[in-house]
Amino acid sequence: MSQGACDLMQRELAKCIKCGTCRSVCPVFQEVDSEALVARGKLRLVEAVLEGKLDYTPGFAERMSLCLLCKACASACPSGVKTDKVFVKMREMLVEKRGLHAVKRFVFTWLKYRRIFDWSLRFGAVFQNLFLKTAQQGTGKEARIPIPVAGLNKRRIIPPLAVRPFRSQMPEVIKVLKPRMKVAFFTGCMMNYIYPDAAHSLVNVLRKNDIEVVVPQDQQCCATPIFTSGDEQTARQLIQHNIKVFKGLSVDAIVTGCASCGLAWKKEFPEILNTRAAIREARKLSGKTFDISEFLIKNGYRQDFREVNLQVTYHDPCHLKRGQDVFKEPRELIKAIPGIVYKEMAGADQCCGSGGSFNLAYYDISRGINNRKVDNIAKSQAQVVLTGCSACRMHIADGLGQQGKPIQVWHTIQLLDMAYGEKGLEDERRENDGGDDY
Amino acid sequence: MEEMIIDRLRAIVGPSNVTTEYEDLLCYAYDATFRESLPAVVVKPRSTEEISLIMRLANEYKIPVVPRGAGTGLSGGSVPLKGGICLVLTRLNRILSIDKENRVAVVEPGVITDDFHAVTEQMGLFYPPDPASGKTSTMGGNIAECAGGARGVKYGVTKDYVLGLEVVLPQGDVITVGNPIDGETGDYDYPLLFTGSEGTLGIITKIMVRLIPLPPYKETVLAIYDQLEAAGETVSTMIKQGVIPTTLEIADHATINAVENYLAIGLPTDAQAFLLIEVDGIKDEVVRQIAIVEETCRRFGAVSIKVARTKEEIDKLWLARRSISGACGKISPTKISEDATVPRSKIPEMIKKVREIAEKYRIKMVIFGHAGDGNLHPNVLTDKRNKEEMARVEEAVAELFQATVEMGGTLSGEHGIGYMKAPFLKWETGETGYQVMKAIKKQLDPHNILNPGKMFTD
Ligand SMILES: Cc1cc2nc3c(=O)[nH]c(=O)nc-3n(C[C@H](O)[C@H](O)[C@H](O)COP(=O)(O)OP(=O)(O)OC[C@H]3O[C@@H](n4cnc5c(N)ncnc54)[C@H](O)[C@@H]3O)c2cc1C
Ligand code: SF4
Ligand code: SF4
Repeated sequence: MSQGACDLMQRELAKCIKCGTCRSVCPVFQEVDSEALVARGKLRLVEAVLEGKLDYTPGFAERMSLCLLCKACASACPSGVKTDKVFVKMREMLVEKRGLHAVKRFVFTWLKYRRIFDWSLRFGAVFQNLFLKTAQQGTGKEARIPIPVAGLNKRRIIPPLAVRPFRSQMPEVIKVLKPRMKVAFFTGCMMNYIYPDAAHSLVNVLRKNDIEVVVPQDQQCCATPIFTSGDEQTARQLIQHNIKVFKGLSVDAIVTGCASCGLAWKKEFPEILNTRAAIREARKLSGKTFDISEFLIKNGYRQDFREVNLQVTYHDPCHLKRGQDVFKEPRELIKAIPGIVYKEMAGADQCCGSGGSFNLAYYDISRGINNRKVDNIAKSQAQVVLTGCSACRMHIADGLGQQGKPIQVWHTIQLLDMAYGEKGLEDERRENDGGDDY
Repeated sequence: MEEMIIDRLRAIVGPSNVTTEYEDLLCYAYDATFRESLPAVVVKPRSTEEISLIMRLANEYKIPVVPRGAGTGLSGGSVPLKGGICLVLTRLNRILSIDKENRVAVVEPGVITDDFHAVTEQMGLFYPPDPASGKTSTMGGNIAECAGGARGVKYGVTKDYVLGLEVVLPQGDVITVGNPIDGETGDYDYPLLFTGSEGTLGIITKIMVRLIPLPPYKETVLAIYDQLEAAGETVSTMIKQGVIPTTLEIADHATINAVENYLAIGLPTDAQAFLLIEVDGIKDEVVRQIAIVEETCRRFGAVSIKVARTKEEIDKLWLARRSISGACGKISPTKISEDATVPRSKIPEMIKKVREIAEKYRIKMVIFGHAGDGNLHPNVLTDKRNKEEMARVEEAVAELFQATVEMGGTLSGEHGIGYMKAPFLKWETGETGYQVMKAIKKQLDPHNILNPGKMFTD
């Protein structure tokens, strides 16, 4: 652990005046009434470790991993304590001292070796019908036996995995007739493996706006689940790889449809890298990375939508709202579609409880947090919940499914794609003849 | 603590509501003050009956018990100075009834203050006490500290709304004092005794409060000054003229800067003071009073006066006020929040005194608070790691208290005495007053197990 990291922690710790404001926003604390789980308590524990009053005990490790990194405490803190930074740094120190938490280690080895990860997820996709039965609403499948990759709880509803990952269905370059811009699409794992529908929509919307899309086949995980668990070293390898893949492309922008990937590219890549040259390179790319909603608002988009008669609401992913300050854009896009009745739900920006791999390790707590979200969605009387993060989408769909609520969860971009209809794609069919067979 | 006692606690509240893990104890050793002391065990009961059993057990073995709400206290009330049982009351968090017709509500102590506000206001009712910590603090903590708030000028403080309480006494007996009708009973006015008793006389397990109709209209004024003293003069004059604002808050230069730094809402950073004044009631009357307010502010040299009428505008002005306390944490890591309070006519004099003291001891002090109550909240901003400065801070605080008492004021406008002001309590009560308090304490808590070290030093 570098001196710099210690200094950062010390500085932030000194700022905490123990006012307790974080108690009013922490989703984990609202679920489990323990001061050791709220930011004020966690900071005290970190401080105790740095003071040498507390060891890197398993109990300490457990309390540090009981955090969604949703940043709600950081943005509510009147003293400006960068709580999330302290927690991630401390997780790194924990990994140095204790190694990764068992559940997490399992997932990460797979993320690092993409081939195995692909294989295991695909294996799951092919074989899931053997041990999954279709759940009531058709919103997902209910696991009958726990699948190891996700450490899944028995009753949990997970979406069917794509038979073929998105990227293997796509050509490297998706051309348009009269390109006004050219962008690279960073898909992220979840859009690639679990929600290719949203990834296709994202590409469609870009095409319909005369934007050429490059989908680099060689891209890898954005490393968020890895560095948030404290494995900085593996994270750095993945980040360097991704930068190598993207820096050679001559594109106007890098576009993502995943809140966490976007945040990683924009802010976390330069923070995690450790050589000056690498940081400079990362910054260059960060500056041109955009969430898809942000990108469309910034660069203009066709508004000849057809009428879509749906009542919808929107859930703010933590990593989009508090991470990237993107929350007006998706709402603006949604409201631009004629026929849409938009209902803001209560607590739209409260965490859905997913928290990356948090929900794998602490499913019950995560479900409790999510139940509140599901209630708010139900109260909004929306037929469809829109959001900008696949992890949120999966977790909310799970919650709605378990409570038997017939409400759909889509990525915002899917609604846009629908509202454009087929217009704008006809001419280009010839240009892109299918994907290569993986 | 002996395992046998822990087991008996487990048997009372269930094993998952008892913890002795060091990692947890560390997190129940503090409140919003700067001293910490570990409890031996943290216990989270769910009912009056469980609490009564815990108190009997504690009495049998003479174990200290420290009641705890949200731990936002500013005088150290919930810090377990003598170890023992940290009794967390947040699981008793039900609103038991709200009687709209008779305007009375009964709640458990773990209900969060602002949650209660939201529920009552939805029904057109109003519970005025509004500590700035309301998003987090519990109703039990509010009663135990007799919390005040920005609306105190017009509506008074917590004690003005308490009709009755259910209390578990230190030896485990349960009594109900007052009643949910009008609070008037044939016996002594016990609710008043327990309100503000800081967890030293009993554990409050049910709270009956009076509600009033929600005022239909309000306007808020933000007046900015280039002289702190001028703001002080405005306050005493306005009160003399018979304007009764709901809120009359003051903030000085350093405070304004800290808030602006945090929120960036366009407060002028060269301002020396602001007054936040709110008037509520029937529209015509509000408009009339706001006119007087504006006129008075102008007369004393306010450089800018902003009137907010819509909810959004009002919320924005309030956000500035509510964020002050935390935003000061950005100036220095340790904030010692005093709430020495003087009669309102003495405000200009008190402002002068605070400045003198700060200069004399070379420490940073900011002023922000409920000027309308004479409560200036002089806050010392320091760093507890700096031993030499902390010594000067202590002397400064003592001198501040001295001055307050001399001006006919009180050491605690609302934050209570706790451990922090215990050494000075006698200055305010006098010897006889102190002995009467001790006699009451001894009668109810003969073994001194309930929150020892608070209010009294011995
Ligand atoms: C940012 C900030 C702003 C604040 N603003 C204000 C303000 O405007 N006005 C104000 O008055 N205070 C204010 N405070 C102080 C504090 O919030 C209040 O004193 C509040 O009432 C404490 O409530 P709590 O639930 O946190 O109680 P705790 O801090 O947990 O406990 C306070 C005391 O009450 C006792 N206690 C708690 N519950 C019970 C119970 N059920 N039965 C018996 N004893 C009990 C404890 O033993 C302790 O002595 C502020 C604090 C902060 C951090
Ligand atoms: S809100 Fe910030 S300053 Fe207050 S207790 Fe939480 S982390 Fe500390
Ligand atoms: S990041 Fe979210 S879950 Fe973690 S402590 Fe802060 S508010 Fe709680």
